[in-house]
Amino acid sequence: MSNEPLIVEDHNTVFDQEIFQKSFLGKKEFECGSTPEEVQKQFEFSKTAAYKELNFARTALTINPAKACQPLGAILAAAGFDGCLPYVHGSQGCVAYFRSHFNRHFKEPFSAVSDSMTEDAAVFGGQKNMFEGLQNALALYKPKMIAVSTTCMAEVIGDDLNAFINNAKKEGYIPQEYPVPYAHTPSFVGSHLTGYDQMMRGMMYYFTRGKEKTKPNGKINIIPGFDGYSVGNIPEIKRMLELMGVKYTILGDNSNILDTPMTGEFKMYSGGTTIEEVTDAPNGIATLTLLPDSTGKVTKECVENEWEQSLIGVTPLGLAGTDAFLMKVSELTGKDIPEALAIERGKALDAMADSNYYLHGKKFSIFGDPSMVEALVDFYMEMGAEPLHIVCTNGTKKWGKGLEKKLADTAFGKKAQVHNGADLWHLRSLMYEEKPDFLVGSTYGKQLAKELDIPLVRIGFPIFDRHHLHRSAIYGYKGLINILTWTVNLLLDDLDRKSKDFNHDFVR
Amino acid sequence: MSLPKLAELFEEPSCEHNAKKEKAGCPKPTPGKVGGGCTFDGAYSSLVPIADAAHIVHGPIGCLGNAWNNRGSLSSGPLLYRQAFTTRFLNNDVVFGGEKKLYNAIKEIIAQYAPPAVFVYQTCVTAMIGDDLGALSKALEQKTGVPVIPVQAPGFTGNKNLGNRLAGEAVLKKVIGTQEPKTEYPFNINLIGEFNIAGEFWYVAPLLDQMGVRLICSLSGDARYHQVAMMHKANLNMMVCSRALLNVARSMEEKYGIPWFEGSFYGAQNTTEALLTIAKFFKNPELLERTETMIAQEMASIEPELSAIKERLKGKKVLLYTGGVKSWSLVGALQELGMGVVATGAKKSTEEDKQRIRELMGENAVLIDDGSPGNLLKLYHEKGASCLMAGGRNQYTAVKGRIPFVHVNQERDAAFAGYKGFLDLARQLDKAIHSPAFALSKLPFTLRPLS
Repeated sequence: MSNEPLIVEDHNTVFDQEIFQKSFLGKKEFECGSTPEEVQKQFEFSKTAAYKELNFARTALTINPAKACQPLGAILAAAGFDGCLPYVHGSQGCVAYFRSHFNRHFKEPFSAVSDSMTEDAAVFGGQKNMFEGLQNALALYKPKMIAVSTTCMAEVIGDDLNAFINNAKKEGYIPQEYPVPYAHTPSFVGSHLTGYDQMMRGMMYYFTRGKEKTKPNGKINIIPGFDGYSVGNIPEIKRMLELMGVKYTILGDNSNILDTPMTGEFKMYSGGTTIEEVTDAPNGIATLTLLPDSTGKVTKECVENEWEQSLIGVTPLGLAGTDAFLMKVSELTGKDIPEALAIERGKALDAMADSNYYLHGKKFSIFGDPSMVEALVDFYMEMGAEPLHIVCTNGTKKWGKGLEKKLADTAFGKKAQVHNGADLWHLRSLMYEEKPDFLVGSTYGKQLAKELDIPLVRIGFPIFDRHHLHRSAIYGYKGLINILTWTVNLLLDDLDRKSKDFNHDFVR
Repeated sequence: MSLPKLAELFEEPSCEHNAKKEKAGCPKPTPGKVGGGCTFDGAYSSLVPIADAAHIVHGPIGCLGNAWNNRGSLSSGPLLYRQAFTTRFLNNDVVFGGEKKLYNAIKEIIAQYAPPAVFVYQTCVTAMIGDDLGALSKALEQKTGVPVIPVQAPGFTGNKNLGNRLAGEAVLKKVIGTQEPKTEYPFNINLIGEFNIAGEFWYVAPLLDQMGVRLICSLSGDARYHQVAMMHKANLNMMVCSRALLNVARSMEEKYGIPWFEGSFYGAQNTTEALLTIAKFFKNPELLERTETMIAQEMASIEPELSAIKERLKGKKVLLYTGGVKSWSLVGALQELGMGVVATGAKKSTEEDKQRIRELMGENAVLIDDGSPGNLLKLYHEKGASCLMAGGRNQYTAVKGRIPFVHVNQERDAAFAGYKGFLDLARQLDKAIHSPAFALSKLPFTLRPLS
């Protein structure tokens, strides 16, 4: 007998074996399916304009949505505060899903609990669960604060978080002074961005509402928003601000919690914005929101009305995006932009010129969250690439209209169609109508990219099927080079994969 | 809200959890404690592997958004099960009811995809506002001629296992027994509770073919709707994942007189035992002989590499944290590799599973009920383990603790079933335990003291 390792076939080859071919023939009898010809015919039809019309006529059905639900955003916002345990009032399954989602994207442990409401809670309300849940969570996991959001279930019953939390304190389940910020976050309204907005406001309200401002602290507040790249982006933002000599507070800084070293022990809590920092935030100069779609409604109201600050939306992505961010910070603080950053800008510009040939004139489709998508579109247009289809399942109407108008006045964006509220199955029809050279989006785009045989530039949330991309900054001049590197190399890989022997060149 | 026979399911007679002391049936979760998946998750993941059917989630975006394609249950043919269909419930639907939207959505699916059947899943919100899936499914079925199967397992009902069972109820009631196979055959079996995770069933399917046993349906890994409909024609049912879908095996015994046995394809010994049980059941000498020859060949093919890996794994201890049948069947497989199992999860195991664990591991077996990361790490060190085998939510905790980790649940890429799968399991353990990363973790320099 040979001592060679036994070849255990993987899925790509296993079915070629005779035994499987026979097995499949046997299975046919039970499948009662259509013939391969019929399947092929339907498949071809699904690529046509006639099918596109049918597809866009859907009214009730959503297929392959590109958005997530409110509490997912809420617990990501909550996770950015020091010693905070995100807690979801409602049924338990939702939280198990959220934890898996963040585990798979960030490749990190993610701690969050629920108070596991069940049928009796649906009838009698969830106050009892809340009492026990807060008490148990505090005893078991010893957080510095517990941030409560809700699932649909609690919202349909109409559970009142404020009353429940106060009652829990009154009845001694948790100490009177123990901080429990909260936000109502029903999944059937808005998306994960709405949830982020609600929880961020919940945090701000809890620690600052009704308190007099003390003396100005000279700091800029920064809200990162629902950002799958926070682990890379937040340190990059801090670095740029420190180069400028600007003092800052990051509100919801999850960059250390979602990127911890292998030390031999598991720490449930690791850094984040402290209570003192939040409490002091109203004394800041102004608040910058890096992904305005994450702070669109209630956070904005809180910053503007409670804190009497302006909330300024600026996404430091791409050349003009980063320029705008730095100039805004400079304007607000009076600090100059140092030469070091100008040199970084020059290097980014240099890289853009190097890769120009491969991106200029290329057409792309993109999906994801509105602010991130808009910033990426701006960047790719800086490279001379042309957006064809922009799909956001969760943008506001106002945002969609605004973007359309903006694109109409650009050199490269005239052809772009903005499909607000559409899903990825709509995007498929659009891409068959006019095939882009590449697609930009999360892992959810991989089936589309494979079917159309185009590269998928993975930028967005969630990225489940590639490692460590989320650890890179995509903000700032350095982040620009990262995005550019991913994109141009994917296109070059694609070129090499498709090239013949005669043009399979060493130099690109 | 009409939840079919919920009380009865809680009292599933074949489930030892329902022994006198534990009247509550499946254990209720503790508020405020790290918890697992919900009933909807259990039901959806049980049936979604039926690959040619359309599966629509009637609920807000979260339920489907999070569950979409999140298990590695593979199909050898149709891929419709991977399309994420939902009614994306919105505020207005909560106020005015969602039946009309669901009705239209299913009509749209049928018009666009012509699936053999549509499974429609209830969620917390739609159950609470009282959308009647039963009546709606009937109406749609009459209008379109396509079977529409309501799966009434909203998340708040309880844990994942209950969802598995409610999914079982749905197919028992509406699918199994609705169609006859075209041809007769003497040796027919079903597998129940085999989900083809990472395609691992494909290490077993050819074995059944070689034996000459016809698989009518695997519920539900790589299944087709019509296969499920013909399940009543089997002579024997094998229960693969004990607690999930137990009610299906028991009801089929009552209704169709089909006997069932519980077995596992994890580990060579378990696989051999399961295949022999099947072969012996049919009382056909040639079938038995074919099976025995095949087993001998399979064992011989994995032996050389297996014994080399065994040498490296000998005496190493594993902390196993999983549920159901995997808790005992993997204990057997690991012991077969010459490894010790220091503790195993028992949260989802039945009394019978636990008894088996005790038989395998001895009366002092540690059965883990508290699966929090802290407790798992504590146990790991206390017991001197060399590897943690658990589900994806524990992977990154383990890595922080410099603990070699092997995936055991649905997210894994490696297939563990059958003989080749057993070899793959050995390889995975070997790679994890001997990962060079852990050897590099000691600081080679002294830190500058804080000034």
